[in-house]
Amino acid sequence: MSEPQLCDIRPCLEGVIPAVMATCAADGMPNAAYISQVYYVDERHVALSFQFFNKTRQNILANPYATVLLLHPQTAAYYRLHLHYLRTETEGPLFEGMKAQLAGIASHAGMQDVFRLLGSDVYEVERIEAVAGEPLPAPPARSGMLNAARRCSERLARCTSLDETLNAVLATLTDFLGVRHAMVLMLDSAAQRLYTVASCGYSTSGVGSEIGLGQGVIGTAARERTPVRIMHMTNAYLYSQAMRSSLEANVPGAEAATEIPYPGLKEPHSQLAVPVMSAGRLLGVLFVESPRDMEFSFEDEDMLVAMAGHLGAAIDLMQAGTEAPEPSPAAAPRPSTSGAPLAVKRFAANDSIFIDDHYLIKGVAGAILWKLLKEHAQGRSDFSNRELRLDASIGLPDVGDNLEARLVLLRRRLDEHGPHLRIEKTGRGRFRLAVQRPVNLTDMA
Amino acid sequence: MSALSQIPPDLIEMMERGVSVHVASHDARQRPSVMRAVGSSVDAAQGCVTVYVSRLQASQLVLDVSSTGHVAAVFSEPFSHRAVQLKATSATLRNAEASDVPVLACYRESMEREVQKVGHPAGVASAMLAHRLEDLVVISFEPELAFEQTPGPKAGSALKEGGR
Repeated sequence: MSEPQLCDIRPCLEGVIPAVMATCAADGMPNAAYISQVYYVDERHVALSFQFFNKTRQNILANPYATVLLLHPQTAAYYRLHLHYLRTETEGPLFEGMKAQLAGIASHAGMQDVFRLLGSDVYEVERIEAVAGEPLPAPPARSGMLNAARRCSERLARCTSLDETLNAVLATLTDFLGVRHAMVLMLDSAAQRLYTVASCGYSTSGVGSEIGLGQGVIGTAARERTPVRIMHMTNAYLYSQAMRSSLEANVPGAEAATEIPYPGLKEPHSQLAVPVMSAGRLLGVLFVESPRDMEFSFEDEDMLVAMAGHLGAAIDLMQAGTEAPEPSPAAAPRPSTSGAPLAVKRFAANDSIFIDDHYLIKGVAGAILWKLLKEHAQGRSDFSNRELRLDASIGLPDVGDNLEARLVLLRRRLDEHGPHLRIEKTGRGRFRLAVQRPVNLTDMA
Repeated sequence: MSALSQIPPDLIEMMERGVSVHVASHDARQRPSVMRAVGSSVDAAQGCVTVYVSRLQASQLVLDVSSTGHVAAVFSEPFSHRAVQLKATSATLRNAEASDVPVLACYRESMEREVQKVGHPAGVASAMLAHRLEDLVVISFEPELAFEQTPGPKAGSALKEGGR
């Protein structure tokens, strides 16, 4: 029997069935212990969860060789890993990825008060042994993933705007991966927060809702720039809870009115967040979730990472395209407005905008809308991304900030709010503010 | 004196009933070896424990036990995570024979119930424990040390006479 590779036994590395780890003390006494996680690091390394200062720990520090017995969760085939201990990581992407997975495992096993990740012990895999036996037939390999990657790539390659790109990603998840609940969040690098720009499968879109870096699965994936996947319901990573408590702790009462509710599932059993990166920079997070246990496997993670890579590149290309706008189109005649005036208030402290006393948006998107409305009152309707970028009053954090994403956010919030104010694309890097009713602007600064 | 006498009755009952058993040893270079047992029996009166492994699956373990006599065995109930580890330094080996069949059958029936309790079909236990009698090696030992192994603050502590 030829020796399997680590990629061949990834179903054994999902934490479904605990592994058994044998070590040997300096005095020659063997030790066997259950281990919750054997985590795939790369083709030559695994990380084991270090949860207790126990005999295994003492042994491995004295004699760095371990043998781990794995059981395939579907076929009940055994594999033995011959391992050499290298180091322990207590922070960073690997640690945080394992910590999240362990929270799900602990919760599922009723061990949430017992299992705690103290470190990620990284081992070199010296040899993988397929153990003789009479395993059950393997379930048919999951098909269609490569095809889904192709469809996603084709769809993204056809997109000409960030709006379309976001829709293409969500549609691919729905059409080819059976995902029912998904979000794309973008990074606000100045605030170190993520804001939702697109979602599907929720009762409200939640566009504009925010998550702090490090908060829950999404915030952890962003902060550590690593995929984070949980396969069981766990209180440790519930956003609604985390967000409420941080809201209560950090935000004065007046600010609560400017909170857009996080749209996510109340009791997610499976969650997967992957960072969206481009040219080494974090742009945002692609997130999927499900009310069912064990919904997302390592294959879904592989697929989402591939999609996120393409999405990141597309976002950067869109951004570059809109910074060099097409020539200004002939200004369209301004349609006349009619009806009762819209009362638009701006609070300068956080650039929050209220329309007829309903909260709309704050921050950079709020500042953009305020500028557009003020200039509209002077008779202008047509604008370019470039002038927004150059306008210091808007306070774009830096050149890397994705202005196009702010406009998508603003446009979607306006669409959800009602038909009277709209942002319509008029060309690459150009758009028009369409106003159907008279507007009364009040600056509450 | 066998360390079995230090194990609380509820854990002895668990071990006698037949739960997951993993066996470890090591070679001359102190490299560990490990395999799941396909059967076990506990004779509390005699202070003796017997575990069965397949030579095809555990050739290194069998070699290691035969050359060092060292053995560690973890008994664990999958549903509750209750676990005990036994250690000995003078384990003995023999080939399995027809008289071992009832013990193996009994163990398998118990394990089928155990794996179903944690949500796996009975076929999983059959696959996990599949073997041919002629391939089995019987490892017997009188435990010298017994440790609490249930995950938690007491895990790893030596079990003392009189139990918990």
